[in-house]
Amino acid sequence: MDPEQVDEFVMGYLKKKGFNSAAKHLQESLHNNNGSTFSSIDYHNDPELNKLIRSFSQSENDPSRYREGYSKLRSWGYNSLDLYKHELVRVMYPVFIHCYMDLVGKGHTQEARSFFNSFRKDHEMVHLRDLQKLGGVLAPSHLQEMEFARSLRQSKINIKICQYSYDLLLQYLHRTESTLMLGIINEHINFQVYSGQPNSASDDIEAVTIVGSFHETADHVNQKEIHWGLLEDSLEDRLEKTGGLLSDSEKGQGESKAGDMDDSKKRSAEIGKQGSSIKKLKKDKAGTATTKVARQETSTVLSSMPRVKPELAMPVMSTDVEESILEDLRNRVQLSSVAMPSVSFYTFVNTHNGLNSSSISHDGSLVAGGFSDSSIKVWDMAKIGQAGSCGLQDENNQTVGLNGRRNYTLLVGHSGPVYSATFSPPGDYVLSSSADTTIRLWSTKLNANLVCYKGHNHTVWDAQFSPFGHYFASCSHDRTARIWSMDRMQPLRMMAGHLSDVDCVQWHPNCNYIATGSSDKTVRLWDVQTGECVRIFIGHRSMVLSLAMSPDGRYMASGDEDGTIMMWDLSTARCITPLMGHNSCVWTLSYSGEGSLLASGSADCTVKLWDVSSSTKLTKAEEKNGNSNRLRSLRTFPTKSTPVHALRFSRRNLLFAAGAISKPSS
Amino acid sequence: MQLAVEGEEKMSIVPKETIEVIAQSIGITNLSPEAALMLAPDVEYRVREIMQEAIKCMRHSKRTTLTASDVDGALNLRNLEPIYGFGSGGPIRFRKAIGHRDLFYTDDREVDFKDVIEAPLPKAPLDTEIVCHWLAIEGVQPAIPENAPLEVIRAPAENQIYQQKDGPLIDIRLPVKHVLSKELQLYFQKIAELTLSKSNPSLFKEALVSLASDSGLHPLVPYFTNFIADEVSRGLNDFLLLFNLMHVVRSLLQNPHIHIEPYLHQLMPSVVTCLVSRKLGNRFADNHWDLRDFTANLVALICKRFGNTYITLQSRLTKTLVNALLDPKKALTQHYGAIQGLAALGHNVVRLLVLSNLEPYLSLLEPELDAEKQKNQMKSYEAWRVYGAILRAAGLCIHDRLKIFPTLPSPSPSFPSKGKGKVISTEPNKRKLGVDSSENRSPHKRLIATDGSDGGPSPMQVDRPTGDANPPQNSVRPSSSEQASDGNAPESRNAKEKDDSKGRAITRKAILDQIWKDDLDSGRLLVKLHQLYGDRILPFIPSTEMSLFL
Repeated sequence: MDPEQVDEFVMGYLKKKGFNSAAKHLQESLHNNNGSTFSSIDYHNDPELNKLIRSFSQSENDPSRYREGYSKLRSWGYNSLDLYKHELVRVMYPVFIHCYMDLVGKGHTQEARSFFNSFRKDHEMVHLRDLQKLGGVLAPSHLQEMEFARSLRQSKINIKICQYSYDLLLQYLHRTESTLMLGIINEHINFQVYSGQPNSASDDIEAVTIVGSFHETADHVNQKEIHWGLLEDSLEDRLEKTGGLLSDSEKGQGESKAGDMDDSKKRSAEIGKQGSSIKKLKKDKAGTATTKVARQETSTVLSSMPRVKPELAMPVMSTDVEESILEDLRNRVQLSSVAMPSVSFYTFVNTHNGLNSSSISHDGSLVAGGFSDSSIKVWDMAKIGQAGSCGLQDENNQTVGLNGRRNYTLLVGHSGPVYSATFSPPGDYVLSSSADTTIRLWSTKLNANLVCYKGHNHTVWDAQFSPFGHYFASCSHDRTARIWSMDRMQPLRMMAGHLSDVDCVQWHPNCNYIATGSSDKTVRLWDVQTGECVRIFIGHRSMVLSLAMSPDGRYMASGDEDGTIMMWDLSTARCITPLMGHNSCVWTLSYSGEGSLLASGSADCTVKLWDVSSSTKLTKAEEKNGNSNRLRSLRTFPTKSTPVHALRFSRRNLLFAAGAISKPSS
Repeated sequence: MQLAVEGEEKMSIVPKETIEVIAQSIGITNLSPEAALMLAPDVEYRVREIMQEAIKCMRHSKRTTLTASDVDGALNLRNLEPIYGFGSGGPIRFRKAIGHRDLFYTDDREVDFKDVIEAPLPKAPLDTEIVCHWLAIEGVQPAIPENAPLEVIRAPAENQIYQQKDGPLIDIRLPVKHVLSKELQLYFQKIAELTLSKSNPSLFKEALVSLASDSGLHPLVPYFTNFIADEVSRGLNDFLLLFNLMHVVRSLLQNPHIHIEPYLHQLMPSVVTCLVSRKLGNRFADNHWDLRDFTANLVALICKRFGNTYITLQSRLTKTLVNALLDPKKALTQHYGAIQGLAALGHNVVRLLVLSNLEPYLSLLEPELDAEKQKNQMKSYEAWRVYGAILRAAGLCIHDRLKIFPTLPSPSPSFPSKGKGKVISTEPNKRKLGVDSSENRSPHKRLIATDGSDGGPSPMQVDRPTGDANPPQNSVRPSSSEQASDGNAPESRNAKEKDDSKGRAITRKAILDQIWKDDLDSGRLLVKLHQLYGDRILPFIPSTEMSLFL
């Protein structure tokens, strides 16, 4: 190649890149030196450099180069050694989506589409949802508009890769002079090279999850300190202190109640607070001694756990409420893998596809449903039981009660579909959130709307009371979660950071944190006092629909759209193990009172019970074996074509479930 | 393939024709094709965007099917006017526009205002209600109508219980017993009564018809199998009861609504008992031979129906039967049952299992058959009965083998009835075994010669050892049976032979050659059988074929 040609290439490149002044200078100097003695580097004889320059000057706009480059890289990756293959294949996905977005960005819509379709299969298994989103991007303007695409473009993706794989990749890229691929990889991937053998393929999910701009910060965020201990002077503590003194009264009461309960049918009249005690009492009578011992054990475990001070000013609990809770706790059935709970199921009939959400009060006596016709209906199950105890069979058919009166309380006020309706812990308030962007507070005693909280800019998907009432958290399509107190019209805190809708929210048992699950496939933990994000949990492959916190505050379970449930350790932000079993959306999760069982309800019309106590013990023993895959499904209860919308363990460990039957009963 | 090609050609899923139609519908008539082409990808992007939001709304409404209201909700989220007119609950029907490949429109009928006014008011929709039931009680699902039907859960649950028993981690609670309806219980009692009583044969026949045809009996099957097993083991002396029970089994098998396969393992022992038990009913008074014959057919029926799905069934059965047959300590009645059972299973079974064991068995039977040696008349009768059965089995088998030669039109042979008379009548014939054996020697030698020249195909080799073992046996046999030979039978045979030789003398040689070549096995078999049975096998052999060999 003669020098004039090289100079021409350089000139062309500079011009194309818009370095006009540089080009001018070059031209001037060329002119001055007469093009003969200019170069101090002997690039004419360096073939490497030569090729590089040539490739730069090649028409950059040729769209077929992307396909060529990617398919070469792909076949190289898939044909590499098995040991390193999964690490190398991991690199393919970011390269793939960036190739696609480059093509779209340059306006080669047709090529982009064919490129996308021909290689999309490779990534569908892991990244199906992302691909569905990206598939619609067809014009450069869409790239600008779509937040997901924008965040992908702006951020770098972290990939953990072992030294050898990294070297292999670099060698390949240099050998084949695929500067285009090299460019993409340089621009968008941030390699974290570690020495030693490559990790096993299934090791960490995080390595393949691409979540956009915040990922870089995720590790950083997860370093923050959190205090997951329970509040000091909690009711459990008090119970423990007073437990010995009260045991006699408990026994006496148990016997007196058991007498009239024995002959009672297990129907709705007794369900509710009373119902929950039936089982309980029988149990207690059978083995008072053993349960005592067990309780002693659990309480010692509890007391050994760290205690934290509340960061919020806690509401004062009235003494009778406190008494009733203490009573419930004293009468709690100890559940374990061998002692299964009873499940009482509330089936909504004739909902005409309008039931958006349902919830059950802590004692199981009240059930609320939020409907798409903007109404909220609250049923008092204890009353229904009394009224219809004589003719329960008829009740199914006669939807209007005997007096021609409906047997629920209708709460009207919202002006859009109601997406959540939840009870305050004592059951005296209902909190509802709606598509009309408001949250409303209703009194179950007055059957009237008390407050309308305005603040969110979009549909409010979920609202939850704190474990002690008074405070509540809400989350919305506007990508924020907010903390409110009942007595103020404005939110106290706003949590912003999720990249998509915030779909569900849950309080930590010590009230200092809330967890939010989002359509961006992450779960975040927020400090209520500071409003900061303190944990990011990455691992779900689809929208997170439900959350539950273990009663000891150490663990969190989250369920997603695909039916996967993940158990997280709050302190490490690591997934202990995914619980696979459901094959459709997990709508609801609930921990049993002492945290040994997790119940999950799903759109596949089943309630599943999971044993989560073994893992807890194991992790307490500092995971000596490193084998934490001990979580297992204990029992599956299929319902009669009724997707399970809500689950609640009562304080006495009776499990309540609710759902709307999906086909009209004949 | 088609799709992929289309995808490459088009910029977007939305064809530009759609854009043009939409443009026309809102009054833009002069939309240029380029503009439509530019708009298409954007339309697709917007539609995808809306659908993504609609899916969110669907999830928050706790549903898994997308409805029009979800799309409205999504439009609302985007601050767009919802599309009115699709809110009704039912699915929207689209119609294909005639003449266009993928153009659809909604089926929107014009409704007469008068009709709407005059129509009766629709029923008020039922109000929402909550029904409450126990989904589980201490981890066990009660069998109540509100829960999913138990049958669905039961089958896997049962299997799991056995698998998990050894695992210490898992606690097992048996599923709740399912309950038989009163009617079914009554029905079962009635059938059981009838089976046991034996007093009302006509009613019992009706019951059998009902068993064979009623559709709702499946829940009773485990009870019936249990009942049959119990009664068979208890009532081995009661001939009629056993016969009735076998009839019940057959009716159950015939019932198309019953899925009996899972219970076969319980049923088979009782059935086989009725086939090969030493004693079925009174030895003298009852015609247990009939029962054995009936049961043999039953066994064959079961094998035919379930042999495919239950592969080990037939092999296990034949093993049992062959063991019964070859055990010299077993009673002759048992041998009879085994032979009948094997014979009912088909000719291949007979050929492989009975014929290969024929010589040793016949030599075993020989002393029993001998009237002089066997003084016990009953024993001798039984022996002849067995002899008749084995002869029939072998004969049918060889007949079947010979029938497969297409070159020879085979007139159907006259089978001997299995009656007592027939057996007796064959008795004198038997005496001349020894005479035949001398005649047989020549074809046998020929067989060995051809064996050598042909270098036999594989099926032959199965039989070769027994074929080679023949000569010594032959030499032994005359000594035992020749003493009683009377020479009146050969006449008939000779006459036949002459007859045949006249008619087919010319073709005979050619065909014979072919047969020896084609199927040395069957030829040899025939020779062997003839050797053993003498002329008594002849009625089974179509005359034309027979002539070839004699």
